[in-house]
Amino acid sequence: FSSSSYQTSSDGKPGKFQPPPKPVIIDKQRQTEERRFLSPEFIPPRGRTDPLKFYMERKDMIQRRRVFNIPEFYVGSILAVTTADPYAREKTSRFVGICIQRGGKGLGATFVLRNVIEDQGVEICYELYSPRIQAIELLKLEKRLDDNLMYLRDALPEYSTFDVNMKPVSHLDHEEVPVNKLQVRMKPKPWSKRWERPKYNIKGIKFELPEKKMKEAQKWSQPWLEFDMLREYDTSKIEEKIWKEVNEGLKK
Amino acid sequence: MMPIWTKSGKKHAVTLLKVQDCHVLRYISKEESGGKTSQLLVGGKNVSPFYKSESAMEIFREAGVPRKQKVTTFNVTDDALIKPGTPLYAAHFRPGQFVDVTAKTIGKGFQGVMKRWGFKGQPASHGQTKTHRRPGALSTNKAAKVYRGKKMPGKMGNIYRTSLGLKVWRINTKHDIIYVNGSVPGHTNCLVKVRDSVLPTYRDCNKNPPFPTFFADGDEELPEDLYDEEVFQFTEPSVTY
Repeated sequence: FSSSSYQTSSDGKPGKFQPPPKPVIIDKQRQTEERRFLSPEFIPPRGRTDPLKFYMERKDMIQRRRVFNIPEFYVGSILAVTTADPYAREKTSRFVGICIQRGGKGLGATFVLRNVIEDQGVEICYELYSPRIQAIELLKLEKRLDDNLMYLRDALPEYSTFDVNMKPVSHLDHEEVPVNKLQVRMKPKPWSKRWERPKYNIKGIKFELPEKKMKEAQKWSQPWLEFDMLREYDTSKIEEKIWKEVNEGLKK
Repeated sequence: MMPIWTKSGKKHAVTLLKVQDCHVLRYISKEESGGKTSQLLVGGKNVSPFYKSESAMEIFREAGVPRKQKVTTFNVTDDALIKPGTPLYAAHFRPGQFVDVTAKTIGKGFQGVMKRWGFKGQPASHGQTKTHRRPGALSTNKAAKVYRGKKMPGKMGNIYRTSLGLKVWRINTKHDIIYVNGSVPGHTNCLVKVRDSVLPTYRDCNKNPPFPTFFADGDEELPEDLYDEEVFQFTEPSVTY
C-alpha cells in the first residue's frame, strides 16, 4: 500500500495534508445517449432521382447553415423569425408563432408559424433556406403529440395565442426534448377537416363528441396500411451517412 | 428541380442537367448534309457495345469513343468546327447565356380528346346519353369531309419538344452540371439536347463564350462553381433592403 499523496517537502518533514484528488466519473451511458438531431429536410424522398442531385442540394444547405444558424426545432416549438421586408419602415419584420408544420425536402424546405394577433389568426409559411430570413430564434423547444398541428385552426384561440415579446425559455443541451401532452379543446363543429377520422391519427385533441360519432369515424380506418410493405421506407442507414456528411461539412 | 434565389430575394425554379460523357463523333460537310451549314455529330451517355450491329458501331470506332446511347446533330458554322473525339464539358456554356432544351416528352399512351387536345367534353348530367368526354362534331355540313390533321384521340407524348429561351443560372465544372431556369421536357434522368438559343431577343447575349468549346487541357483553371451575377450565393450573408 503506498499513498502517492504523501508529501515530502525539501525539509524532510511531512508537508501539509493534501486530500486525494476527486474521482472523475465517466458515465458511459450518458455519453452514448447524446442527442442527434438531423433536420428532416436532409432525408431524400424515395424515388428514381439521381443521388447526385441530393448531394448538390445538401452541399448548398450545409453552406447556408455555416453562414446562418438554423436552430434545432420540432413541430410545437415556439419560434421568432425576422425577415427582410422592403415595404416595412425598418426594412425588417419579426413574427413569433408556434410551428404547426414542417414540409418540403432539400433547399425548398418550409415551416408554418401560427399565432393569434388582435383576435385574428395568422399563419406564415417561411422557407428555411431563403436568403431573406435574417434570424431564427428558438423561444421554446418543445414537441407535441402530433407531427402536424393544423387542427389548431379549429381549436379555441387561446391555444394558438403566444406573447409576441416572450422571453426565450432556456433548455439544456443534453436533456431530452420535453413532450407537451396537452389535449386541446376544439370549437364546435363544423371543422375544416374531420379530425376525428383515423387517417389523421391525432392524439392531441380532447374529443368531446358523442360515442356514436367516434364509432362512425372508425368506419374509415384502414388497419391494413401499417402492414403494407411497399410503403415502408427505412431511413436509418441513409440518415447515418447524411449525419456524418452534415457534421463534417459544418465543422469546416 | 431546385429553388434558386437572386440577390434581390426573388425565387426561381431551376432544373439540373448533367453533361455525361459527351464526345464529338463526326464532321458532316455542307454538301453532304444538304443544308446551309455543316454539321457535327455529338454523342451522349456511354452504354454497352454489345447490343448493336457492327455497321452502327463504325461511327464510334472511327472516333475512338465508347458506344453512346444518343447521337444528335448540331448545325455549326465553319469557324466552330471541332475534331471528332474531343470530349465536351458543361463549361461550354456560361452563366447568363440563354439555351434551348430539346427532349422526348413523357409518354402518356393512347389518350382521349379531352386530355390530348384540351377539349371541353359534354356536361355530366341533364340528359346526356353516353356522351361525356367525346369530341362532338368532326366537321361542318358543307365541307362533306373531315380535314387532314383533325384533332382526335391517339398516342400522346413521347415526341420531341423544345423549351426555348431558358437562362443558365449556374454551372458546376466539377460534376459537369448546368442549372437551367424553369422546367424542361422529359422525365427525370432522361437524355436531353442543349443548344444555344435560336430566339432573336437572345441573339447577342453571349459576351465571351468559350469558342469553339471548353477544352479541359489545364490551360484555363475555372473555379468549381460559376454563378450568374444576380444569383445569391450561400457564402454571402442574408439579403437586406
